[in-house]
Amino acid sequence: MSRPPSRVELLQGTLDLLILRTLVAGPTHGHAIAKHIQRTSEDLLQVETGSLYPALHRLEAKGWIAASWELSDKGKRARYYRLTPLGRKQLAAEQSKWEAFSRAMGLILQPVDQEGQ
Amino acid sequence: MNAFFRKLRWLAERRNKETELREELQFHLEEEAERRQAEGQAGEEARRAARRELGNLTLVEENTRAMWGWTVLEQLGQDLRFAFRTMAANRLFTLLAIASLALGIGANTAIYSFMDAILLRSLPVADPQSLAMLNWHVGYRIVRGKAAEERDFVMHGMSGSTWDEDKPGITSNIFPYPAYELFRKYDSVFSVVFAHYPSWQVMRVNLAIKGQAGIATGDYVSGDYFRGLAVPPAAGRLVLPDDDRPGAPAVAVVSYAFSQSRFGGAANAPGQQILIDNLPFTVVGVTPPEFFGVDPASAPDVWLPMHTNELMGAAHQFGFRPEGYLDKNYYWVEVLGRLRPGVSLAQAQSVLAPAFHQWVAGTASNDRERAHLPALVVKEGGGGLDTLRRRYSQPLYVLMAMVGLILALACANVANLLLARAAARRREIALRLSVGAGRMRIVRQLLTESVLLASLGGALGVLFALWGIRFLTVLLANGRANFTLHAELNWHVQGAAAALSFLTGILFGLAPALAATRVDILPALKATWAGGPEARRAFRRISLSHALVVSQIAISLLMLVAAGLFVRTLSNLESIQLGFNRENVLLFQLDARKAGHQDPEIAAFYGDLRKRFAAIPGVRDASLSEDSLLQAGTGLPISLPGAPPGNGDRLLNVGPAFFRTMQIPLLAGRDFQETDRPGVPAVAVINRAFAQANFGDRNPLGQHLILWKDDRPARDMEIVGVAGNARYGSLTEDVPPLVYMPYNQGYPHPDQMVYALRTAGDPLRYVPSVREIVRQADAQVPLSEVRTQAADIDQTIAQEITFAELCSGFAILALAIACVGLYGTVAYNVARRTGEIGIRMAVGAQHGRLVWMVLREVLMLAAVGMAISVPVALGASKLVGSFLFGLKPNDPLTLALAMATLLGAALLAGYVPARKASRIDPMIALRHE
Repeated sequence: MSRPPSRVELLQGTLDLLILRTLVAGPTHGHAIAKHIQRTSEDLLQVETGSLYPALHRLEAKGWIAASWELSDKGKRARYYRLTPLGRKQLAAEQSKWEAFSRAMGLILQPVDQEGQ
Repeated sequence: MNAFFRKLRWLAERRNKETELREELQFHLEEEAERRQAEGQAGEEARRAARRELGNLTLVEENTRAMWGWTVLEQLGQDLRFAFRTMAANRLFTLLAIASLALGIGANTAIYSFMDAILLRSLPVADPQSLAMLNWHVGYRIVRGKAAEERDFVMHGMSGSTWDEDKPGITSNIFPYPAYELFRKYDSVFSVVFAHYPSWQVMRVNLAIKGQAGIATGDYVSGDYFRGLAVPPAAGRLVLPDDDRPGAPAVAVVSYAFSQSRFGGAANAPGQQILIDNLPFTVVGVTPPEFFGVDPASAPDVWLPMHTNELMGAAHQFGFRPEGYLDKNYYWVEVLGRLRPGVSLAQAQSVLAPAFHQWVAGTASNDRERAHLPALVVKEGGGGLDTLRRRYSQPLYVLMAMVGLILALACANVANLLLARAAARRREIALRLSVGAGRMRIVRQLLTESVLLASLGGALGVLFALWGIRFLTVLLANGRANFTLHAELNWHVQGAAAALSFLTGILFGLAPALAATRVDILPALKATWAGGPEARRAFRRISLSHALVVSQIAISLLMLVAAGLFVRTLSNLESIQLGFNRENVLLFQLDARKAGHQDPEIAAFYGDLRKRFAAIPGVRDASLSEDSLLQAGTGLPISLPGAPPGNGDRLLNVGPAFFRTMQIPLLAGRDFQETDRPGVPAVAVINRAFAQANFGDRNPLGQHLILWKDDRPARDMEIVGVAGNARYGSLTEDVPPLVYMPYNQGYPHPDQMVYALRTAGDPLRYVPSVREIVRQADAQVPLSEVRTQAADIDQTIAQEITFAELCSGFAILALAIACVGLYGTVAYNVARRTGEIGIRMAVGAQHGRLVWMVLREVLMLAAVGMAISVPVALGASKLVGSFLFGLKPNDPLTLALAMATLLGAALLAGYVPARKASRIDPMIALRHE
């Protein structure tokens, strides 16, 4: 109800990719990840907390990210996630898969424009 | 793998993990609230917005926890905890269920362990799969013992056994020695072909070490035997090809157990001098501890090179003769082979069968023999000879079927109890369903309970099985010291027991669980314990619980019929007219020939011992015979003067006072006496069957009989007595025409002798005196097979005794289980109808009518169960036809008795709750609703 209509629903499976990509910049906690995704996507993508934490724990169970308790900038105990080597490899694979996918989608959805150019 | 260990670590730290998760989400909320405050929202407002944004905190936690991957296990843990609590709350139910399952699973495990030992175990040698066993089969029944010109089968003589298999005709594993030499030429198929000869003479040898004599079992083996089996010596060396030729030094190999008990260790055995049947042998080596030869039915103490049977045979009047190695029509060696790598049984068969066919065709001497040539069958030999399989597999299948039925009964019972309980838990289950539990989740929880019950039953059942195996071993061995069938709870038996427990848990749990969760939530929640209208309707419908009781009654009837058949068989066997008095007779065997006694001294030795046994205080009469009456079976040609010799007339060599000792009535003439000794005219006593067959109405006394040896008269005997028919060689077959002859009046000369002492009181009390007398006479003479005449007879009906005892036990158990089930069902139904019964009583129903109303239900169930079971029983009883004696499989009396017993038990089980129903106080019952 409070959500602006311009926001995009996250596709299934893309959240994992976004989390992994976010962590390339360095370890951080769940809230910061959510905000980073939101900010970087110019508020187009809103990460639901209800799916963020299950996703983080799932990635951790798969061994793609690791977690440890650290102190935040404000001096509070927070659970920090970082990318593991396995996660880095996974990210590369997911990313190229996504790029191939989005290129394919683009080719199908925009042929008229291309002819027009 | 890594992921697994990570999960495992998480499981260990689960409690920590949960607080951490809570802390993590808390941190998120605070961050979010701060962010919102920074954007200008008020503190309280910001916090609430953060919460709203997060959504259902518990759900987020739950979804996150689900990612840890242990939900199923966690739920299992919950289910198990809950199941334990429910079980503890219903102790009687739990106890009943576990006990009946333990009995069922235990009995199945015990019987299965025997099947495993017989059907599945391999020989303890290297690569048993590449061993092959040679058999032959001929598709028709051989009539043996015909005169030479009438022969119709190439096997003219044999030492070994033949048997019936599934196909009609006979099968055997004995071959002429020249055939064995033929097989040895096929080294493209076999890397080694080897043979052994478990002759009756070597199966019981007198083995003396430094003057200490004892009975031992032996086996003759070919020079390649141990190489073929790939068995390494535990000490010294084993039999080599060079040992197995005529004139080679006599060597012997002993078993590990024998070396332990007689030489004090394997290392001491090589080089020892021993006497086997009074012939000197040198021990050269010891076999490994686990080795028992190729026949799981025997466990030899000593292995001798095959060709030493020439030495051993020379000392016996019916012993092995060297010509046996050349005779192409004398079947005696058992042949095995080690297949070359890559050669299959089928390939071996296709190469060897034509070769054997060609060879055996050359040994036929007339067209009849050529018409029925034996065909070679190459079988797998990894399990060793199938002696045990042939002897025990059929009885074990019957027992397996019975214990399977017992388990089915136990399952039905527990299912019924669970069903009754599930009905009592309707409200609980309806409540759970109404607050949103999935049906599968509840089914899974109920199944957890039943599998837990079954697992506990299974664990207890394995203990039962341990005891059962010991009990069955005693029962099957029936006093035989050389019983070699050793069942054990190895890993596959235990695995089978575990699988069985799990399966039964699912089996008896699934139906009640499905039934319990198929609930209309609203009426069930509203219903009182005494039962709503829906419960009353279910009572008249054919419910699952009724079907279970009916099946229990049907199974019980089957068991009762089986028990009845076996018990009646046993009683028929025990009431057989023996023709002699079995009570208070001590039997034991002496073999003086194996201690070096020779003719004619040996007869005097035996005669002298008889007199000394007769003089033991308390011994009323003493006599001897070449075998006990029921184990006897000697046949030699006997004829009336002037007639040609027949073949194989039954005879028994006996000593003085034999008829008085055995209390066989003499119809005419006299008993044998001391005066019937060597050098005086030979005499004979015939039985009534012989008199009727040969003399009709004429008086046989004073007539003569001729005993033939090698087609020449060997002994001319005057008939001095006619005895009543006494059982000979078999308890169940007709008494054959029989000639009794003094053991000391010429051919055939005595070998071993079985003494019979008629005693005052318990015969076994006299054993020490007997031992002392034998020791004084000649300590080298082995005394063996000490038993009472009654035990000797029981030995021949051991299987029938075992079956009768086991089946009676099983039937009683089955009946008890079925009655508990019936009682439970009826009692439960009565309890559910308390209200209805109260109303009936309030409007004036008589007690009798109420009892009848309940019993009618019991009778209906019993009648349906029996109606299903009777045709099944009639069909199934044919399968055990070969185990019965003196009655037909569809014996009407047995069936009637079984039905009457079952009906009586069912009525009793139903009467108790019926009476209770008639005692219900209408006022209390009506207030129930």
